[in-house]
Amino acid sequence: MTAAYLTTGVLSVLLGLDRVAVLQCMVSRPLVAASLTGWLLGVPLAGFEAGMLLELLWLGRLPVGAVVPPDDTQVAIGATALALTLERLLGLHGMPSVILCVLTAIPLGKIGQYADTRARRFNNRLAELASAAAAAGNARRIERLHLCGLGSFALAGLFTCTAIVAGGTLLLLPLAPLLVGAVRETGLSLQYSFTMIGAAALLGTLNVSRGLFLFGAAFIATLLVIGLR
Amino acid sequence: MAVTRFPLGILLHGCVRSVLQQGSWNFERMQNLGFIYQLLPGLRRIYGPTLPAEVLQRHTEYFNTHPYMATWVAGTVLRLEEKQAAGEAVPLDAAAFRSMVMAPYAAMGDALFWGGLRPLAAVAALLLAIHGEMWAPLLLLVMFNVPHLVCRCSGWLLGYRQELASAELLQRLRLPDAAIWLKEATIVLLGILCALLAARGCEHQELAPFWGLILLPVILFFAWLSRRGVTSFSLVVLITASLLGLALIF
Repeated sequence: MTAAYLTTGVLSVLLGLDRVAVLQCMVSRPLVAASLTGWLLGVPLAGFEAGMLLELLWLGRLPVGAVVPPDDTQVAIGATALALTLERLLGLHGMPSVILCVLTAIPLGKIGQYADTRARRFNNRLAELASAAAAAGNARRIERLHLCGLGSFALAGLFTCTAIVAGGTLLLLPLAPLLVGAVRETGLSLQYSFTMIGAAALLGTLNVSRGLFLFGAAFIATLLVIGLR
Repeated sequence: MAVTRFPLGILLHGCVRSVLQQGSWNFERMQNLGFIYQLLPGLRRIYGPTLPAEVLQRHTEYFNTHPYMATWVAGTVLRLEEKQAAGEAVPLDAAAFRSMVMAPYAAMGDALFWGGLRPLAAVAALLLAIHGEMWAPLLLLVMFNVPHLVCRCSGWLLGYRQELASAELLQRLRLPDAAIWLKEATIVLLGILCALLAARGCEHQELAPFWGLILLPVILFFAWLSRRGVTSFSLVVLITASLLGLALIF
């Protein structure tokens, strides 16, 4: 388990950096991040399923200007690590276990917003120091200060992931055996509700004049095709 | 002094550095350090290893745009800086150009990449994922990153070569229109995705797929709630509590 948690920590830093600070090539999207985490931790299906559940939830929250959206990257990585913990320690596996992990990680993910905001506030200081370096004509120092900013984002990601995994483990070890049966009883309803809620939230934020018509038409046409097939 | 053009290597160096555009994002000056970080190889080429303080101060001012569009600004700024240093008259100085275009470029990039392409790639990947295709994440990465990397790299080259005309080029590309088309395509795929899930749910309950139509007003109601400011988190809590409560009672 130690190796698995270390891998989780490394992934939380690397994928967390992609979220804001480096490249932004979307390896930080929950579907990608959780799948990759699951694959590296030896629970590929759990990671893939956690990513599917989380992908749409905050997709409509755009990282524009000073807006700090919820940290769905760390929620995805943390939920996958929790799924591994439940499998190894309690022998729980399958979609109900993954749903429990995701449900635990989502509220803990609020810590991510706090940590991200703190990282950006810390970087305010770097910007002030860089102004002084610019006045002194010291370009090298400006470069070094800029690279220091990566450290604050890396720490924020690691902190959030650690909080999700530690807090989630403390909550799930006693509660998961009690709740997993109820989650199983909900069948596909709970599983699909994540995607449906995410789709609704995205639909609510995509500002397109004939959006509701397009959505309704696609929805009805697809059901008709399936029904008549 | 004649204005010389940079070798490709310097431009590529700046382009590679652009991946750290938001490395020290801060609330006060946002991407200012990332912007000067990608300009520095070029500035050193123009002014030598010891850069004048006024040049550094000019480019550590407030800067914020879409991270992929920053290369378009940087390329042109570097060219203007080069001309200014050579004493050539420029219609707009580098700092003024940067201040003038960052907001419109941000609006274009946000709408195209964050509002259009990212949701489209995610929903397309989810459509594959619900069929159990484990390579769905790769589809997301490819769909998103081909246009992303083209925009990032071409921004440096075209911004530098076309100078102020690069803004007109971006205007001719009609990126806001492309963003709307991408959003419409996303909405259609979302409709298909939700219908497929609804049909699966019906099949699981041994009902005809048409019963899935019941979910349409529910989703639209949730979309309305979302537009009114109700968060996804609140909806997840509400639905989970309801479903788990029912499961525990019955």
